[in-house]
Formats: sequence, C-alpha cells, structure tokens
Amino acid sequence: MEKKFGVYICKGCGIGESLDIEKLTKVSKRGPIQEEHIKVHDVLCSPEGIQLIKNDIKGGTNTAIIVACSPRVKYEEFDFPGCLTERVNIREFVAWTQPPNDEETQALAEDYIAMGTVKVQKSDLPTPAILENLSNDLLVIGGGISGMTAALEAANTGYKVFLVEKEPELGGFARKLYKKIPTRDFKEPIIVDTDIEKTAKEVESHPNIKVYKSSRVEKTEGQPGLFDVTISGASGTETVKIGAIVMATGGVPYDATKLGHLGYGKFKNVVTNVEFEAIAKQGPIARPSDGKEVTKVAFIQCAGSRDPEHLPYCSSMCCATSLKQARYVRQNPNSLAMIFYKDIRTPGRLEAFYREAQNDAGVMLTKGDVHGVSDAGNGNLFVEVEHTLLGEKAKFEADLVVLATGMVPTTRAPQEYLDGLTAAVAKGDEPKKAYLESTLKPEFILNLAYRQGPELPSLEGACGFADSNFICFQYETRRTGIYAAGTVRQPMNMTEAQEDAAGAAFKAIQCIDHVAKGISVHPRAWDLSFPDPQLIRCTACKRCTEECPFGAIEEDAKGIPSFNVNRCRRCGTCLGACPERIVSFKDYSVDMIGSMIKAIDVPEEDVFRIVCLVCENDAYPALDTLAMQRKQIDTCIRFISLRCLGGMNLVWIADAMAKGIDGFLLLGCKYGENYQCHFVKGSELANYRFSKVGETLSKLQLEAERVQLMQVAIDEYHQLPDMLNTFAAKVKEMGPNPFKEF
Amino acid sequence: MAEEKIEAKTEAAAEPQVEATPAPEPFVGDIVTPDLKFVNEIMTGGGESLKKCYQCATCSVVCNLTPEDNPFPRKEMIHAQWGLKDKLFSNPDIWLCHQCGDCTAYCPRGAKPGEVLNAVRKLSIEHYAAPSFLGKMVGKPGSLVPLLAVPAVIFGIILAFLGHLNLDAIRNEAGKIAYSSLIKSYYIDGVFVPIFLFAVVSLAIGILRYWKDMKQATGAVPQGSILSAIGETIGEILTHRRFEQCNITKDRKLAHMLVLFSFAGLAITTAWAVLYLYGYEIMHAMGKTPYSWLLGPSPYPLTDPMKILANLSALGLLIGIVLVINNRLKNQEKAGKGGYYDWLLIYIIFAVMASGILAELVRLADIAVLAYAIYFVHLIVVFFLFAYAPFSKMAHMLYRATAMVFAKATNRDVELK
Repeated sequence: MEKKFGVYICKGCGIGESLDIEKLTKVSKRGPIQEEHIKVHDVLCSPEGIQLIKNDIKGGTNTAIIVACSPRVKYEEFDFPGCLTERVNIREFVAWTQPPNDEETQALAEDYIAMGTVKVQKSDLPTPAILENLSNDLLVIGGGISGMTAALEAANTGYKVFLVEKEPELGGFARKLYKKIPTRDFKEPIIVDTDIEKTAKEVESHPNIKVYKSSRVEKTEGQPGLFDVTISGASGTETVKIGAIVMATGGVPYDATKLGHLGYGKFKNVVTNVEFEAIAKQGPIARPSDGKEVTKVAFIQCAGSRDPEHLPYCSSMCCATSLKQARYVRQNPNSLAMIFYKDIRTPGRLEAFYREAQNDAGVMLTKGDVHGVSDAGNGNLFVEVEHTLLGEKAKFEADLVVLATGMVPTTRAPQEYLDGLTAAVAKGDEPKKAYLESTLKPEFILNLAYRQGPELPSLEGACGFADSNFICFQYETRRTGIYAAGTVRQPMNMTEAQEDAAGAAFKAIQCIDHVAKGISVHPRAWDLSFPDPQLIRCTACKRCTEECPFGAIEEDAKGIPSFNVNRCRRCGTCLGACPERIVSFKDYSVDMIGSMIKAIDVPEEDVFRIVCLVCENDAYPALDTLAMQRKQIDTCIRFISLRCLGGMNLVWIADAMAKGIDGFLLLGCKYGENYQCHFVKGSELANYRFSKVGETLSKLQLEAERVQLMQVAIDEYHQLPDMLNTFAAKVKEMGPNPFKEF
Repeated sequence: MAEEKIEAKTEAAAEPQVEATPAPEPFVGDIVTPDLKFVNEIMTGGGESLKKCYQCATCSVVCNLTPEDNPFPRKEMIHAQWGLKDKLFSNPDIWLCHQCGDCTAYCPRGAKPGEVLNAVRKLSIEHYAAPSFLGKMVGKPGSLVPLLAVPAVIFGIILAFLGHLNLDAIRNEAGKIAYSSLIKSYYIDGVFVPIFLFAVVSLAIGILRYWKDMKQATGAVPQGSILSAIGETIGEILTHRRFEQCNITKDRKLAHMLVLFSFAGLAITTAWAVLYLYGYEIMHAMGKTPYSWLLGPSPYPLTDPMKILANLSALGLLIGIVLVINNRLKNQEKAGKGGYYDWLLIYIIFAVMASGILAELVRLADIAVLAYAIYFVHLIVVFFLFAYAPFSKMAHMLYRATAMVFAKATNRDVELK
C-alpha cells in the first residue's frame, strides 16, 4: 500500500509559545513529505482540528503524524481507523519540559518529528490475526466457592461452562465449615450457615454448566480460543474445546505437623482451625482427648504464618476465622475463648465483625508472642505467652488449643516440584534421575502441553500463589487465557473469593472476546499487531522460546519456533531475544527503533545528544506526569518509547554510539521481588542483556558509564528529573563521543 | 506466693519437647486465670463499654492524675477485660483515678475507661465490705426496697411502741411542733449510735483489708511517715487540688467541695446539738441548773449560732448536690453518666437534704401531720446514708483517701502541677 502522508502540528497547550512553528513546518519537509502534507492548527484536538484530519483521510491520506501531545491523552480524538497514526509528543517532551524559544529546544522538536516520520515509514497498518474454529466456552477448574461462583457468573451471561472438581461433590473448603461469617450485617445472628449446598445445586442444575465431579484435567493444549482440554474422571476421558480457563483450585491448610513447638502432634487437644470446624460441626464442642465439653479454648493466631520459617505471609482470614470460632465457643454462655494474636487483621468491613466479637465478655483478646504450649494435667494445656498486653510473661490454662493455621495455594507444590526438577536437570542426567526417584510428584493442575512447563511458572516473592502482576492485573497469570481466582491467587476469605471469581470469569470472557477480534489481552488490550518472524533466517537458538514471559512460543524438533498468537501479549520481548533480528511486528521492529535513533540529528560541534529508551507502561507515564508539573529536563535527551524494555536489542546501542550519540539510557520498571513490570520479566531481561553491553562499548573504546539502565516506578516521577539530569551532566563531564567526528 | 509454687510444680512435670524442635528455655511466667463472671459483673455494674477497649493508651496519655510509670487506666482496662479481679482490687490506682472523664471523652473506641474504673471501684467496695452480702445488696437496684424497709420498720416499731395516734396533738411544752416530742432523742440515738459504730467498724475492716492487699500485691513497702502522708492527703482533699487537674469536668470541684464542706458543717452541727441536749440533760440529772446556753431538746431558735451553721450547711449541701446532678447530666455525653451506684448516693443525699429542709419549713409553718410524716421519711433516708455508708459510694471517701496515703507513702504519687 502506498503511503499518503499528513503531518498535523498543534500550536495549543503552550506549544506555539515555546517553538517556532513556521521553522518546524519547513524542516518537516523531508523524504516523501511535501509542503502540502503539513498542516498547522491552533487546537488540533478541537472538533475543527479533528475535522481537518478527517477531511484529509477522506481525500486519501492514510498515514497521519500528529505532532501534538502525549499518546497517553486524547487517544479517542486522534483515533482514525484504517489510518496509520503516529503521535509525536512535543507537548510533554518539549513545550512543557524545556526552555521556550531556545535553539536546542527547537532542535529537539525537529528530532522528534524526524523520528516520528521514520517510524511511520518503517510501519504498516496492522491487520489482525484471527484464528479459525475458536471456542467460546469456559473451563473452570475447582468446584469450591470461587469455582462455583465463576461458573455461575459466566453461565448467567450466556457462556457455556465446563466445571471440573476433583472431589465427588462440589463445595470445596466451605463444605468443611460449621458456620460462616455473615456477609451483610454483623449483628445477630453473628454466625450463619454456609449454604454451600444451595450453591452446589444451583451450579449442577444450571443449563449452561456441565459439571465433572471426581475428575481432573489431564492435559491442556493449544492457546486461548483453541484450548484442547482433556478431562478424566470416573466416567472416562473426554477432550473439550475451550476458549479460556478460570483456575480456582484454592488452597490447602498449612501442614500443622511442622508446628511441633505449638504442641501439635504432641498433645491431642491441640488442633488446627480446620479440625476445629469439624469438632464444632458435631454439636457441643468436645475435645479429642476425652470427649469432655470444653469451656476454655485458646486460639493461637499466626500459627506458622508471618514466620520466615513457615509461611512468610499473612493468610488474611485466620483472624476473622478465630473470631468466628470464638463465637462457636460462646454458644455456651459460661465458656471462654482466649485469643492470642500478633496483630488482629480484619480488613474492610470485617473490622465490624471484630468489634462485635470483642464486645463479647467471654471473648478475651491479647496481643502476645506465643512461646509454646505445655501440659497442665488432665488433658488441659498451658499456653505460654510473652509480651502480652497484660504485662509480663504469662501462662493461660485451656481445655483445648486451636492453631490458626494459614493457607497454602494448590499451585505451590507443583511449582516447587518443577523448580526442583529444573535445578536437577541443569546439573545433569544423574541428578535428574535421582530427583525423579526421590521426590514424590505432587498433583498437577493444568498439565499444560507447553514448552515452558506443565504448570504456572513460579514467581519470586509470590510464595507459590498463581500471581503475575498483582499490582495492576489481579486475575492474570503468566499463561494467557488462564485466569486465577480465589485462594489459589492470594489468601482471602469467602466473600472476597466470590468477588474474585466474578472478576476472573469476566476476564476470561474478555479474553474470548479479544481472541475473536484478533486483539491482544492486557495490557495492550487494543493491539492488533502480532509477531511475524522471518523463519527462513532462524538459527534455532531457542532464545525466544525460552525468554517469552508468557510461554507463547513453541518449537519443533529442529528448534524452529512457532508463535501461538493468541497466547502472545505483544510485549516484543522476542525482538530483544533474537540475535538474528528476524522477529518484527507490523508497527514495531528492531529496524524501526534503530532507524528512529539514526534519524536523530547529531551536530558535529560540542553539542550533546542522549537517547533514552523508555518503557511505555511506567517510565513514559512518569515522564508525562513530571511534564504536567513543568519540571525541566536536560534538552539533549531524546525519548523513544518501547513496549517493554524486554524488547531491548543491543544493536541499537552499538548503532547509536557509532553514530556519535553521547549517552544511552534505558528507563525500565522495577524488577525483583516487588517487580512492577507489566510483562513480568521484561526489565529484568533488559538488565541481563545490558550486562553484555560493556563488550560492545569496549570494542568502540568508549566509557561504560555512557550507557545506563535505571529503574523507575510510575509514582516515582518526582525523582526522574534528577536522575535524568544527573546522567546528562555525567555524560557531558565525560566529553563528547569521539565518533561524532566520523 | 502460692502461684509461684504451682508454677514450679508444673515446670518440673513438663515433658521434654518433641524431637523436631530443640528444647526451648523453660518458660517462667505467672498463671493468669481469666474470670468471666467478674467481667460480666463489671459490664452489668456500669462498665458495659469495657470490651470496646483495644489498648491504644489514649486514656493514659490524656490522664493528668496518673503516674507516668505503669500508668492507669490502660492497664486496668485490659485487666478488667480478662476479669483479673485481684490485680484490680489490690492496687491503689483504681482509686487514684478521680473519675474526671477525660479518658472517656478522648477514647476513640467509646470504651469509657472512667466508667469502667467506676464500676471496678464499686465492685471493690463490695469486695472489701463486711458483711459482704450488704455490699452486694447496696449495689443492686432490686435490693433498694428491702434496704429502705429496714429503717422504716425500725422506726415504725418505735412509733407503734410509743403509740402516737393523734399526730396533730404532738407538741412540746411550748405548744410547738417538736420532733423530739414525736420520738424522744434517746430512741433516735439508740438507733443511730449503734448504726454509726457499725459503719465505722465495717469501714475499718474494709480499709484494713485493702491496705493489706495493696502491700502484698504491689510488694511496695511504705516509706517515711504514714502520718505525714495522711496529712498531705487531708490537705489535698480539703483543697480539692486533684479535681483541678480534670479538663472535661472542671466544674465538679465547686460542687464536690460544697458537698464535702456542708457535710463537715452538718457533722459539727450534730456534735453541737448533742452537746445542747445531753449537756443540758446531764446537768439536769446531776441536779444542777444547766448553763443557759445549753438549750436542751430541740427545736432551737433560728438565731442560735448552731442553728445558723446547720441551716447554712443544709443549704450548701442541697445546692452542692443539685450542682452534682447538673454537672453529671451536662457532661454525660463526654464523660459518662455513671450508673445506679452513683445515682443512688446522689439521690439519697438529695433526699436527706430535701426531707430535712422540708421538715424544718413545715414545722415552722406548723402543719403537724405533714411535718411528722416528712420527718419520718427523713429518718429513713438518714439511716440509709449512714448504715449503708461502708457499702455505698459513700465509702469512696475512705478508700480513695487510703489509696492516696498508700501511693504517697510508696512514692507512686504523681506530682501535681
């Protein structure tokens, strides 16, 4: 398709006051762009300005360069379907952050227009990849409260749902409970029936839901819209076509046998909170040792939780559970419930439940560190507590001790097993064999037929929970089209799990919808482009298949990759991974970014130029924010937006330095335990690749400090001017890049 | 202590720990025994907000009367929540509190520490009172009628014995209404002197028990002269210096002072009247002519200095108690309204004053039947006030004073600004 260009320069929002627009118009004439293609408007986003562009598009313009504000604003106004549109940001990056009417400021704007022009020249309008025979059906794994809610929510919107439950009946963890905390009002009755049977019946009788009980997922193949899921159960094995999956497999209680210091396993009358539910279910609360009805029950909170030796996290529902169980005890008005806590954590409206419980004369609470549990004779126990609110160390006699144990996600055991296996494989065949022989294989959940492994990959700091980026996108996992809900995702109570299930069900539906339109799912949930490798030049190095954060790329026996477009999130990590630079998107490629860098005018005299590649998810909006506050940034820096720093290719740095660019900066998200990367591993990968940049620079005999990678979170915009200006000052101190002269 | 013995025994009997964990250091700590019954008693005795406390310590921060070391009322709130009666009772702190209500006003959870401590003090009086059943009865609204019935029956029997039928005809030699003509003072004193002695003995027993418990529980040894501590305490009581530390209920000082000093005035008046009557009677019995200033049986002229003091004191007490009522109602939102126990004493004092003043006015108006009826009521409420003083809030006088003396003697006192 022949490109017919239109360049539209806006004078609004201070741009006109800051720059010589006439001069800018003159220099915009380059290559295929002629004078008649360039138009200036006072307020381009006004109806008149938009009409101006639309009229041109009607007249045949199919490539628009909007020289105005950040692409993060006015995106609805400047949306022209069918027209390749590039937004050149001279408002935030120039007018708002640079000294007005300055020669260098003018040069900066000119460079941005030049880069934008090259970018559209190197781009094509993406056409979506829509696969055939897509399924609209959902698979829900797990028939507990989360799974049942997810199934009902999706089924009620008209989607067909397959629900797989490994137990012979639906209900999951909630079935084990005696009572639950009411969801609406915490006045009388303070504890209510779980009504799990009612929900189970509703699910089983729903015309849109097909329930597989005593069943499990044997194999999951394919990609969103085209999953082939093999379900095996008592009635045989069946393969169903699935659009998207909700994983609601929940958690299991922490293994209390590891809590010997709290008397578990040693004293019969030390039980877990889950065991206590069963005891309470049987009528008057009788203790295990002698069946005596108890009148003094001690609850030990954080039993194995918030403890680096056991579970480092808070399971968030044990406090409310113990307060609820204290009410079981208090059904006998002469009974006493003593609760020993580190902190009572009853978030949200549960605070009211806490207050109600606290008001009960027989619910006695104290902060304290439980030192241990010892024998008090006759089956009774002493709970030994230090640092109590009552003062010094104290012992409390109880008939029964309940340990408030936390929850462990069902994803943890498979992840640990697989990580162990990976480590053993890395050591060689013998360790691998030894590992397989010595380690009990836990129950797998998804059994994915993916190159990157059969289960969700583990993530540092996620403690085995099915998490991907908990800050922004809670239901997403690192396997596209598979959404986690409930306690498999993060510790939560039943009410939260129900909300979670609805959220995950809708994300799954959204995934089905996007796949049908050939659009990516989050975070580039508008993107029609997809990676299109020139496989003929592939050397089968497998780096793309290994590095893809979402396991989207499979490979054949020869190691040649095949891209599953519906699993792809369009982050472009494969761009940075490929040493042959064969992976490109229609509007995003190694050549395109490289050409943009080359389009920067590098003056021969002592004028500095720095290129800064910024992540579009965190660093770019942070730059926009500091621009809104009119913070000044060194005029020599040119920002280029990347989908993810994971796409960073070292050739860009080599080319830039060879061209005479004085400094090169990479601005990415935080990585590590509290990572912020929308593509999970992008900035970390960039850092890994960056570690190899020294080689390139030493070849060029340049200072290593000319190239730096910095981490910035979206809310750290206030630190950015200092970071950027300090870097620029350092580069200037080193002096100009000697390659300028060549 | 007994608890330590139990401790040692259980520690020795403790089995070795499970193998998986290294044997921890033996744990040494007091056995704490929560008392649900006691918690319920506090909650039904005026401290129903007790359990709302979440130990933020705002109360102890705003309190101007607490020592900085181990301050109240925060620790009392957690002790009360767990029903640790002994820790609360055998401690001067519950009485060092003057129930300003500052803590209650600033409590972010509405736990009303001032009210809770008040309920604890009530239970403490009950606990130390001898005999204890009377302590329990005075604190219970249901026992009010039987308690009032006791004096009513006693004086009713006396009246029946005297056989007065025509009340209107009961006059003294001067033809005036005279209460001493209705019931001779011997009868009155025959009742009140033993009652007074009973109250003194009962209070003394309670106070001694309290002192002993405080010494034992705190382990503090009174230093220096107890007498000087008593002297300082009396000085503080007379000047009401502690009341000045309160913020929310600052105006309580005047009301309470009026009540206290009026009571003192009435005590002097009583002694004075005893002198008038028995001085006269004794001289008369000895065959001497009584001094002219010994006026003999009542009523006495309004111009008599003793009568002037009596009337001023009566008026002072009435005004004082009305101010107390007014202050409590005014501050109830912030500082708490108090419970039955508080209001019982307030209403009894009010009843004593109202009936006393009315009896005098009606006597002067010469309406005999009404006057004698009011006097009868007056006798009943005065009996109530004195006989039940060791069990009612009246006892606060001595318990608080004792706690103040103990605190001063053991350096647990707070320096007043």
